[in-house]
Amino acid sequence: MLVLRFCLIPNHFPCIIIYNMIGGESQQLAVEAKNTSFFYGKLKVLDNLSFRIPAGISYGLLGPNGAGKTTLIRLLVGLLTSHQGSISVLGRVPSRQTAHLIGYMPQQPSLYNELSIVQNVDFFARIYLKDNGNERSKQVEEAVKLVGLWERRNDGIMKLSGGMKQRVSLACAIVHNPPLLFLDEPTVGLDPELRVNFWEHFAGLNKKGVTIIISSHTMDDAAHCDRLAFMRNGQLIAEGTPNDLRQATGKLGASLEDAFLYFVRREEKK
Amino acid sequence: MHSQALIIASRIIKQVVRDRRTLGLIIVVPIVVMTLIWLSFPELPGTLDYIAPALLATLALFFGFLLTGISFLRERSQGTLERLMASPVSRLDIVLGYLLGFFLFALLQTLIIVLFTIYALDVQYKGDLWQIFVFQIIVLIGAINLGIFISAFARNEFQMVQFIPLIILPQVFLCGILWPLEQMNDVLQWIAKFLPLTYAVEGMRDIMVYGKSLLDVGFDLAVLAAFAVGISVITALTLRHSSGG
Repeated sequence: MLVLRFCLIPNHFPCIIIYNMIGGESQQLAVEAKNTSFFYGKLKVLDNLSFRIPAGISYGLLGPNGAGKTTLIRLLVGLLTSHQGSISVLGRVPSRQTAHLIGYMPQQPSLYNELSIVQNVDFFARIYLKDNGNERSKQVEEAVKLVGLWERRNDGIMKLSGGMKQRVSLACAIVHNPPLLFLDEPTVGLDPELRVNFWEHFAGLNKKGVTIIISSHTMDDAAHCDRLAFMRNGQLIAEGTPNDLRQATGKLGASLEDAFLYFVRREEKK
Repeated sequence: MHSQALIIASRIIKQVVRDRRTLGLIIVVPIVVMTLIWLSFPELPGTLDYIAPALLATLALFFGFLLTGISFLRERSQGTLERLMASPVSRLDIVLGYLLGFFLFALLQTLIIVLFTIYALDVQYKGDLWQIFVFQIIVLIGAINLGIFISAFARNEFQMVQFIPLIILPQVFLCGILWPLEQMNDVLQWIAKFLPLTYAVEGMRDIMVYGKSLLDVGFDLAVLAAFAVGISVITALTLRHSSGG
């Protein structure tokens, strides 16, 4: 229990790794959903979802617009509560008490337009971290540098392009070094070079034990993930590693796009 | 205790200070409005002295409501409120932070407008200046919280602006600023008893025109304080991240 407590303190990735080893299982669960359903009024947005996401991997939620990806992420960060079934992050029900363990990048960059880049990131650092000036400014600098905006740190958000806003939004999500990251379509509006940079960084975070859950509708992102969940109309139609999913089609050289279509058709036949 | 409310308040202050035009408007608009009203009263000496307290209370309610309502609505529509609600900050801290941040600007506005009215427009008053400010502060806190609360029912700025005639104007008509309350029919007098501005105008008039103390207007003050606390508790309890209602 003591070990568990230490592990829940953010900024202590080594602890999480130790915890994983002590836990005995090969991998600890970062997220678990059991028969989760969610409705907007009468509309069923999430339909009986069950899945488990082990810690320390990149997990992709793939599907077209309206598949329920954003709703699922909002459930996982504690903004919504499921109507049926249960959901847990790092072994706990998502709430304000789990919020400091989570980094959340919403689909629409939620930034304060009047403030500069560094003021935005610093605001979130203050909210999430105990107010320790030195440590905090170091982490803010790290996060802003990581998204490649340190030279423009004093620019107001209004002056930035869409892609740059995405990057500031990512910096705000990771500034407190959370062990669990939820990124809602983080690569939309990014040029290919930055996209590669982002994915390199995500891989680095995974190595430190950070779990990253990414929603996307491009198969380009999917290829970078360790595991994928294909979603459609609020349902989970397939789940596995990119390789598993490609091979399931039974075709040699099948792309992830082929795999997605294969599972869609299989679902329609049911 | 509520250190996160302070973090939010300091963020709001930074936002407004960096937005020069907004800051300028906050300072200039009340002066312009009071000057216009003053210019429209040139022939009747003493009338403004009687009307001024009511105007000060009304403008405090109006500006406090508008400033906070619109900017809180923007937090909703930009998604920053939702982002904040996914963080470890409590709802109470969000409301307190907002109250604190905007209170500073509303207070600045009140200081300017009261001092301008008294010294530049030469409005005569009795009572203590500090008691006038304390009373105005209580009015402001209620107005700011009312702004936050009402913004939950608007989906965009356009709708929010339309809440002004709905929420503010009836209070202005029924507070005794246009006609003495005693001359209205019973139903209107009864309704006026439930509107905070009625107490704000009554209290300000008692202090400024009749030279009463805060203790003498204790009942008005208590009603306004109860309104401020009540509306902030309701706001914190009903705070939702998405817009619309």
